[in-house]
Amino acid sequence: MLILTRKINEEIKIGNDITLKVISLSDSVVKIGIDAPKSVQVYRKEVYEKVKEQLIAASKSSTQNKVDLQNFKIKKVL
Amino acid sequence: MKINTYQFGEIEYTEDKVIKFQDGLMGFENLKNYLFIKSDDGIFYWLNSIDDPGIAFPLFGIRILDDQFPQQENHEAFGVVVLNSNPSEITINLKAPVYINQNSKEGYQRIIDSDKYPVNYNLFTGQ
Repeated sequence: MLILTRKINEEIKIGNDITLKVISLSDSVVKIGIDAPKSVQVYRKEVYEKVKEQLIAASKSSTQNKVDLQNFKIKKVL
Repeated sequence: MKINTYQFGEIEYTEDKVIKFQDGLMGFENLKNYLFIKSDDGIFYWLNSIDDPGIAFPLFGIRILDDQFPQQENHEAFGVVVLNSNPSEITINLKAPVYINQNSKEGYQRIIDSDKYPVNYNLFTGQ
């Protein structure tokens, strides 16, 4: 892993069109600003891991036979 | 061309039916070609991998759940579903919807940056 030391407001460029900027530091939290083209997806790693686990579970559940939905209704998002 | 699927048995398809996911789905980045199938019971859709026909994802149209859900132009939003024999245990992923354009036959997955949409949302409630 490449490790760089940066101060507040200093930036890192990744390739031609991705820029990371250190916005603020407090205790053990660092705030990072990210400039990237729309085609590049940026997300928190732990969210990606959770989504990945959900997809594995969904794929495993895809062998489930017909579910009896009688007496159930769809729960709308409020 | 043919693939063997668990839910629908052998399916014959032509190239123009293939939905292309250029970046794959999260955790399944190497699988890029899918068939999009509507189930007979009319509630779930299925995204069945062509590259690995043993892999399939049950989907549910999110618009029915939430008409405020983030839209993408010309695409329909679906949530990946974890099925269960007990409907109250069935969950849908609203955090990382799958967007599909059935005309251009392309799809992609996005993460919604909002606490409103969980990865495991209970899809059904008992009456």
